[in-house]
Amino acid sequence: MKATELAAQAGLKSFNACGDKEIKGVYISDMVSDIIGMGEGNLLLTLQTHKNVIAAANLVDVAAIVFSRGKVPADDVIALANKAGIGLLGFEGDTWTLAKKLYELGIR
Amino acid sequence: MVNLHGGYLVVEGCFHCRQRISHFSEEPAPPIDDYREGEHFWSHLGDFQASKFDLECETCGETIRLRDVMATMLCMKCDPECGVYKAGEGDGGKKSWVYVALCSNTSHAGGACVTADGIRAMNEYFNRDLHDPEKKIIVVPCSLRRSVDTCQGVVLADVGLTDLY
Repeated sequence: MKATELAAQAGLKSFNACGDKEIKGVYISDMVSDIIGMGEGNLLLTLQTHKNVIAAANLVDVAAIVFSRGKVPADDVIALANKAGIGLLGFEGDTWTLAKKLYELGIR
Repeated sequence: MVNLHGGYLVVEGCFHCRQRISHFSEEPAPPIDDYREGEHFWSHLGDFQASKFDLECETCGETIRLRDVMATMLCMKCDPECGVYKAGEGDGGKKSWVYVALCSNTSHAGGACVTADGIRAMNEYFNRDLHDPEKKIIVVPCSLRRSVDTCQGVVLADVGLTDLY
């Protein structure tokens, strides 16, 4: 499933238009230093909306990032994500609810 | 990526010679005490949660130890005269991203930095299986950085997570 399809099916808000990457899995982390250990192509679920998250996500080539609990990234964060081709999505609920929803949609 | 473990990136400065060093601490709480080492008087400047790792070749099994890599930093292209900035200019590609492997010898007073083997392994690892074939990750040693004081790079470490105000 691609990030754009996921956004439509899970009711996620899109902060930019970079959503063509195939999602290979899911990784949940709120620590930048932890993100660099995740595999490429994963969907990153996080509460962190600062620029460092994009820097780390770009290094490991994430499929997209979903900010849970209604967190909204700043304009400079979106600009950096655009440059990196990283899709930014938003979810109003908590991360656990989002994780369950992703599982139900077949993302393992 | 093997031997991935978390800890603290601890930055210390000598008020006597103005040099800065950093080290990785795996203690439950990072050391904050001042101490003397030869002519240096090291004081704690800050600490951040960070990760360390080694890289293992999936083909031959060789492990490249990255003991000298304290953290990684994304270059924000703040200084055209900086060696890190210039490293990203080489192929002229808009999709080149320069990351700096930060060593412990922040001021490089001793001349040492991250090994060439470590830099090569990091470049190979972070460029494998990229979704966009035009994208390129360029990892360089921090000895290329022009100034640690004016650098605006984004360090991949967690600042302030253990602080309460």
